[in-house]
Amino acid sequence: MELIDREDHQKLYLQLYEILKKKIESDEWTVGSQIPTEEDLCKIFNVSRVTVRSAVMELVRQGYLKRHQGKGTFVFKKAVSDGITMITSFREIPFEKGLKFSTDVLARTVMMSVDDMNIRLHVPKDKHIIYIKRLRLIENEPALLQETYIPYHICPLLLEEDVGNQSLFELFEKKYGIKITCVENHIEIVYISRDEAQVIGLSEGSPAILLNQYFYSGETLIMYTRSIKRTDKFKFFINLERKAA
Amino acid sequence: MSNSKVAKDVMIGIFEYPHVPYWFSIAQAIRIVKVSFISSKKYPDPMAILVFDEKYNLMGTLTLKDILRGLEPRFLKPSEKAQGISENESALSLIWDTLFTQGTKELAEKPVSEIMVPAKHFVEPGDPLTKAAYLMLHHDLVLLPVLENKKKFVGLVRMIEVFDEISNAIIKE
Repeated sequence: MELIDREDHQKLYLQLYEILKKKIESDEWTVGSQIPTEEDLCKIFNVSRVTVRSAVMELVRQGYLKRHQGKGTFVFKKAVSDGITMITSFREIPFEKGLKFSTDVLARTVMMSVDDMNIRLHVPKDKHIIYIKRLRLIENEPALLQETYIPYHICPLLLEEDVGNQSLFELFEKKYGIKITCVENHIEIVYISRDEAQVIGLSEGSPAILLNQYFYSGETLIMYTRSIKRTDKFKFFINLERKAA
Repeated sequence: MSNSKVAKDVMIGIFEYPHVPYWFSIAQAIRIVKVSFISSKKYPDPMAILVFDEKYNLMGTLTLKDILRGLEPRFLKPSEKAQGISENESALSLIWDTLFTQGTKELAEKPVSEIMVPAKHFVEPGDPLTKAAYLMLHHDLVLLPVLENKKKFVGLVRMIEVFDEISNAIIKE
């Protein structure tokens, strides 16, 4: 059995994440089966509960595992595809020309990690994080509520920028020379909270599209964005194209 | 003290301390204190959190004492009208113990903006440390913000550096 290598520079939870992921991908843990409890995993791999929890949460986030309250954690799906590989492009249907777009910056400040944000951003819990909250309007109507989290050390000067009129993507690439090489998108339909509803102009519990995006530069995660999109303002388009042999 | 150091000579960087926005709860601030100071065994003097608004302006500071004060039930806080409650103090503190789980957890959901010490007083980078000492003494402050042109928050002056500088001047003279 593969064990944690404490001499390895990689964080323990990331090592454990890789080990557990392999168990799912190799069918050692089959779809639908219950994985060992946190306590058992601590004993098996001789690591702390925090390490186990972080690794499991990452697997939940990636869609490999699913937690059932009071029952345990189960293998949800094998996330890799053995079939043909396709190039996938995902984009929003372009808006009609002539529509007026604007952005309200609701917050641009610095915070510490809470809940699992340090795991999402791959940073230690005591690191400062830049937090930007923006409301995008189309024809002066709220359409998208976006919260962005960036490890402070990635781009401290971002705090000086006008993030209401400039794209963060462009600021990273054109001004700070941080090339974004990969964007991982996770899409869900959610029912919005009272606070979100007030800002986005819907009633509490209305369905909305939740888009979680992880922006990478090489292997470094530089930004996480959580966007709530009104279903009546956006349409999506997915194109699958077979990769050249 | 005429040739002495000024605020910018002794101030420490603002990223030496954790930052939170004003809408964070006391419970979230407690978790941050645990991670930033207690679990990591870093004990800066003072242990504090900086509270900011949504435009990243400093709103206030939060020490461990402020957090505990925020968790204290209302009935334990001295009333302005009450006089001579000292005899009942220990009895009252026992009541806090019995109510701890329910009441205190509810109080921990309050935003930190309700319990922070507002940042009303500050020094400019070029101000003498005697000014910092005066403000800290007269307003009972443990940290004093250093603002450039009354706006940009560039550092913090702590009591330990102020004390050190003033005491050096006395010892030398």
